[in-house]
Amino acid sequence: MEHLIVGFQDVLNPATLFWVAAGVTLGYVLGAIPGLGKATGVAVAIPLTFYLAPAAALGMLIGIAKGSAAGSAVSAILLNTPGEPSSAPTAMDGYPLARQGKAQKALKMGLFASVIGDFVSTMILIGLAAPLASYALLIGPVELCAILLFSLTFVGGLSGRSLTKGLIAAAFGVFFATVGLEAETFIPRLTFGMLELDDGIALVPIAIGMLAVAEMIVQAGNIKALDVESAQISDGASREDRVVLASEWRRCLPVIARGTLIGSVVGILPGLGASVGSFLSYGATVRASKTPEKYGTGMIEGIAAAESADNAVVPSSLVPLFALGIPGSVIAALLIAAFILHGLTPGPLMFKQQPRLVADVYAAMICASLIMLVIGYNGQRLFAQIIRVPLRLIIPGVLLLCCVGAYMETGSVFSIYVMLFFALLGFFARKLDFSFVTFLIGFVIGPSLELTFRQSIQILDHQAVNLSGHPIAIVFILLTLATVWWTTRDNGRTAASQQRGDCGQTDPTEAETKHIKKGG
Amino acid sequence: MRHANVVSGVVLAVVGLVMLFAVIPWQIDPGPEGMVSPRLMPSMMMVLIVALSAVLIFSNLRRADTDAPEPAMPFTWSELAALVKMGAVFAVSLALYLFVSPLAAGAGLVIGSLVALGERRLAVIVLMPAVLLLAIWLLFYKVLGTAIV
Repeated sequence: MEHLIVGFQDVLNPATLFWVAAGVTLGYVLGAIPGLGKATGVAVAIPLTFYLAPAAALGMLIGIAKGSAAGSAVSAILLNTPGEPSSAPTAMDGYPLARQGKAQKALKMGLFASVIGDFVSTMILIGLAAPLASYALLIGPVELCAILLFSLTFVGGLSGRSLTKGLIAAAFGVFFATVGLEAETFIPRLTFGMLELDDGIALVPIAIGMLAVAEMIVQAGNIKALDVESAQISDGASREDRVVLASEWRRCLPVIARGTLIGSVVGILPGLGASVGSFLSYGATVRASKTPEKYGTGMIEGIAAAESADNAVVPSSLVPLFALGIPGSVIAALLIAAFILHGLTPGPLMFKQQPRLVADVYAAMICASLIMLVIGYNGQRLFAQIIRVPLRLIIPGVLLLCCVGAYMETGSVFSIYVMLFFALLGFFARKLDFSFVTFLIGFVIGPSLELTFRQSIQILDHQAVNLSGHPIAIVFILLTLATVWWTTRDNGRTAASQQRGDCGQTDPTEAETKHIKKGG
Repeated sequence: MRHANVVSGVVLAVVGLVMLFAVIPWQIDPGPEGMVSPRLMPSMMMVLIVALSAVLIFSNLRRADTDAPEPAMPFTWSELAALVKMGAVFAVSLALYLFVSPLAAGAGLVIGSLVALGERRLAVIVLMPAVLLLAIWLLFYKVLGTAIV
């Protein structure tokens, strides 16, 4: 608590608050524009933070992630096109409400649910990460290697529709992480004589290429469909159509509480992601309702359920990162680069080595939640205007920022080549359903996985039988095998149902894709 | 997607085998005796990729034996066209960077992508790169106080 007070002292100054607010605003805008999102925003913004103080830099990046999660509801409600896939369930009831002249009410409920979900989840992160980290300090390389393997398999199985493809992507991520001088022998690996590769491949150009540039190219290919829609807030005549009434608050509060809980749990589990959280929460709300048939026609509870869970995922997804140093989401993987850049190595030791910086991050996260409320509430009409800007005017600016960001990482045009190579890879990965999320997480944890694997070989004296002395590692190896079995069976069922032409609504990725494609 | 999965599986398997038997031995020394070889992790990943690619190929070939209709291709022509167009824009920008100046490269990237995306209004094509480059200059050189190039 003492550290947290010091954290607030560091963050509550005009300069830091300005950058946190800038991050939230930028995130809100990026989230509102279909096709852009938090991953793109954070990837492009990391180089912009090189020259900021750590608290301001990390606050800005976290602000982008939080703002983007909330902003995606704007286009979902006004355009029926979610800014991010996780807001697809928001559109189901938000768009009908907007058509009834209750767009402001829908946007306000989306914002309030987002802020509450985000704030409570931030508190869960603060309460859980440090105690979990103290247990994590008790585990050794063998256990950590097993946990990393389990995380990678878990993420690989859940991030796409095929475990096989997810694991291939993860293996490629780990493989690319081995490029550069080997840590023990200093023997160059796969550098092809290029000095630029001796230090390995930097994460930022990879992330910018795979996430932002590849996404822009995909959007450029679908630009006509996305530019057709136009957004406007059509206000109803009465005040009741513009504000959230007390009776609606009473109906929505339990829904928000459930959504926040679902989102927080989903966020903590690696690989599930915000889409799973918002669809689960929406589904649970429909099932719990006495009038489920009304959902999809403009029920405000639907917005509250989806948005609270969607936003609760972001902070809680940092729990495994802070407690174990394992990124459970693409945002967490990207934030690792930013944290390390600003002197904070995510993992259990950071609570002992850098308690003040951790407190700064927590304080910045809490401030970002409150700033999001202020900016979202006052900027509703402005954001509604921004999403009318056609994508053909946005893409060139994003591409320019991508190049600047990648270039700044090393000050060399080589980073642009790396960015373009991975943009091409990201484009094909997207279209062929190879999870780029798993690839990036594999790339980030690759060095730790290799190091702990090498240490494990030595600790176990090259004898697998010696694993019997490491029960935690055995548990995680069994969990890895169970994950493989479970996801293979699940993928097989999904494939079978697809062959029957019955996709159902059980797969959020499928459901949201269909929703976006049909534009409602 | 089944056809695409089989093709991508074959490509990945070939890439994996080439890496395993040609690139890794060529690019990574075996390392000193008594230590874990630097080739170990890259080789393990490639073995995994080859094995999983084989699984991908055979599972999709087996599924293709059923009479279910093949779903649409994963790419649309407009997406492939966008990939080619954007590739060309980046190529021109890089040439401008290498042979003219970074400023020309930035302007070329914005103008090229605007034109490639169908923008034909002269005012937008002229003003947008000017405004964006000015904004970037202001942000980095004045607000953040650092040089980009």
